[in-house]
Amino acid sequence: MPHVLLGLLSTGPKHGYDLKRSHDEHLPRARPVAFAQVYTTLGRLVRDGFAAEAGHDRAGGPERTSYEITGSGRAELAGWLDQVDPPAPFVTSTLLAKVTVALLVDDAERARAYLTAQRQAHTARLRELTAAKTDADAAFADVIGADYAIAHLDADLRWLTTTLERVATLGGDQK
Amino acid sequence: MIIEGRSLVRSYGATPALRGVSVAVDEGEILAVTGPSGCGKSTLLHCLAGIMRPDGGEVIYRDQRVSDLSEAARARLRRTDFGVLFQFGQLVMELTAAENVALPLLLAGTGRREARTAALSWLDRLGVRDLADQRPGEVSGGQQQRVALARALVTEPRVLFADEPTGALDTLAGEQVLGHLTRLAREQGTTVILVTHDARVAGYADRELCLRDGRVDASGLGLVSEAAR
Amino acid sequence: MRPTTLARLALAGSRTDTLRVVLTAASAALATLLFVLAAAVATIPHLGDSSGGSETWARQYRLQVLVEPGLRPGVIMALALLTIPVLALAGQCGRLGAPARDRRLATIRLAGATPGQAVLVAAAETGVASGLGSVAGLALYLVGRRVLHRPDADGRLLLPTDVVPPAWALVAIVLGLPLLATGVAALLLRRVAFTPYGIARQVRRRSPRVWVGLLMGIGVALVGSGQAVARWAPDLPDWVLPVQFFAGVLAGTCGLVFGTGWISAATGRVLLRFGRGPAALLAARRLMADPWSGSRVFAVLLVGVLFGAGAAGLRAHIMTIMAVEADSNRWSAQAQGEQYLPDGRADFHATAFTLVDGVVAVAVGLSAAAMLVAVAEGIVSRRRAYASLVATGVPRRVLARAALLQALAPAVPAVVLALTVGGALARAFGDEARSGGYDNTICVGGDWSACEEPGSTKLVEVWVPEFVRATPVPFAHLALLGAGTLAAVALTVAVGLLFLRPATDLTELRAV
Repeated sequence: MPHVLLGLLSTGPKHGYDLKRSHDEHLPRARPVAFAQVYTTLGRLVRDGFAAEAGHDRAGGPERTSYEITGSGRAELAGWLDQVDPPAPFVTSTLLAKVTVALLVDDAERARAYLTAQRQAHTARLRELTAAKTDADAAFADVIGADYAIAHLDADLRWLTTTLERVATLGGDQK
Repeated sequence: MIIEGRSLVRSYGATPALRGVSVAVDEGEILAVTGPSGCGKSTLLHCLAGIMRPDGGEVIYRDQRVSDLSEAARARLRRTDFGVLFQFGQLVMELTAAENVALPLLLAGTGRREARTAALSWLDRLGVRDLADQRPGEVSGGQQQRVALARALVTEPRVLFADEPTGALDTLAGEQVLGHLTRLAREQGTTVILVTHDARVAGYADRELCLRDGRVDASGLGLVSEAAR
Repeated sequence: MRPTTLARLALAGSRTDTLRVVLTAASAALATLLFVLAAAVATIPHLGDSSGGSETWARQYRLQVLVEPGLRPGVIMALALLTIPVLALAGQCGRLGAPARDRRLATIRLAGATPGQAVLVAAAETGVASGLGSVAGLALYLVGRRVLHRPDADGRLLLPTDVVPPAWALVAIVLGLPLLATGVAALLLRRVAFTPYGIARQVRRRSPRVWVGLLMGIGVALVGSGQAVARWAPDLPDWVLPVQFFAGVLAGTCGLVFGTGWISAATGRVLLRFGRGPAALLAARRLMADPWSGSRVFAVLLVGVLFGAGAAGLRAHIMTIMAVEADSNRWSAQAQGEQYLPDGRADFHATAFTLVDGVVAVAVGLSAAAMLVAVAEGIVSRRRAYASLVATGVPRRVLARAALLQALAPAVPAVVLALTVGGALARAFGDEARSGGYDNTICVGGDWSACEEPGSTKLVEVWVPEFVRATPVPFAHLALLGAGTLAAVALTVAVGLLFLRPATDLTELRAV
């Protein structure tokens, strides 16, 4: 979160409200950020010297403080971008947990009902995202955000299918 | 409802491909037929499009039993009411893109000039107007598929059958073809039956029909309840 | 690469490959048979001195062309020339199922073979197949020699089954033919660069030039000017005229052979401009896209027609000479008050030309058979596009009409051209025959013993009037030849279209 705000500030000084709007605009598929969170994060960035107050304006409303990125802030941002993220060190997914448990629980009918419903939810979301992406008004950020989500849903679905086939094969082998 | 298959059965020699599949498609609907390879999805498409006659069951297109028609009558129907798009290799390599697109119109007896005008306008709508006088061998796979899509749509069919239309394309080229396909289909109110094994491609459809081992798989995961067995 | 590996790789393959190997072997067997037969004719011993009288005749044969030693070189030539369409058939068979073989060779390359090894594998297949074919051909000859060695009531033989060519000749044929075939196969593959990831065939894009037309013109001019040259410069050495004539025929033939691609392309352009309907469009574009497809066979077919037309023209000319000589002989006989008895020369020439016609018919038939392979391959290699078209509702008859048009549209002008060039070459020999126009001593009553008595009044000097006959253009004969050829082509395509139904079977769409 702090690095995203730094990234948004790197395009020019912004005040808190601008930052929130800019965040939601660039990451349309991410969870929308709360004002409070923006201000807390900004406070921490100023404390660490990554951002500084740039000025005050009062454009027909309450006084607002705008912030700008500092030199060390740019260095910090560059460092963050350069850092390679460890590729999925731990698999933490509710889906994985649920499917594993569903397969353990000796109630085939319930597991079947859950998995079917889960797959339907996934495909419905996938259709929704595809529609959003192919909408003539879709912005670039919408498209790449949707792409990201679609790729993950597709991966989930493929994993689900393979897992069930694996279970079926195991069952067959045991017999 | 525009087209319906009832209890369709079809085998290749001793190998059953369809073991009683029923499907009804509404006018203007985009239906994805999905499933693992060998599940019978292409066979279903071929039966619905009248390319192939089912061994059992019937295909009804607008109150007409397609499965009872002669090969000549089905060919006529495919020419006038249906459009077909395959994975690759459907363009005549010796003809230019415009001539390939104009071919169905020429077959219907349209004059050469008129057919070319129509072909050019469709190539334009698919963003490949510049390639009108190129041969298929000279353009990329994605461009070829767009030309093929133009050819499938030039007769303004009521139903478009697409069998893995992006199977041979990379993600972005495939996305463009699918984007054009669904956009134009919705503009024209064309019904689309889209066969694919890819969930991302199926995402372009309104509804999904999943097949497995020649049967409809309601779960989409090959899960058949004990009761159904 | 060990020979066993080579043989294993060369003979690996599908049913189509087997068919190709069998057809290659069969053509090689046929060619071997023809060559051995030619060698056998050459082996017929010369009798008597070389004066050419009837004492040198080998009277044990039924066919006059075998009996007279002077005619045998012609027979040998005809047999050797007949191998050309056979070899063209073999060459075309080599293309059968070639795409699959090319893919196999590409995978062999992927497994680490050098380009040279890949070509070697492909050529080895031809070599092995034609080697087996040659041996089979020789065996066929040896068996046939015994089976057909049946003298008729007069003790005469149909074929020279009483002689055997020398062993060295047989060995040379049986070894030489497969070597030749292998060499030609390697040569034909030079255009195909086998890469590990597929085949890059360098298609001849170059559009055929107009100079081929010029070549045909030069040919006719060379032959046509022969007589004029002989009249204007009578002191030329003897060899000049035959060389000029041969060069002319060669130029005309080459023009025709190189012209096939040009004719195809030009026909395609005309068809595209004026043709109606999708079938014409398909045929036109295909002709323009690859005017050289099947041109090898087409060229052989046209050379057959050209020689046929030339023979027809020569026949008409020689028959006219015979007729005009008969005219003057008849006049002389009448003047002598005798009954005119025609000699057998006209009949003899007619028989010889009928044999030539037979050879031409066989050559045209063989080339048409080779065209079948080209037509079938054209259909099979486009099966995916065809199946897709049928799926979209294109009636098969449109595709059939396109294939027929593609074969016949260039064939019609090409055959007409071949007939014209052949006919013109023959006509350049002479377009009229003269006889008479000289003083002759005749014996009225025909009793020469009476006439030769001194002071006989029966011996008179008379002026034999000049008889002139224009050599007719043998239109009927040429038309028959042309129509027969076109019928053979049409029949070939019709048979080739049998491949259309399986090729457009919609299961082809499933094969990825």
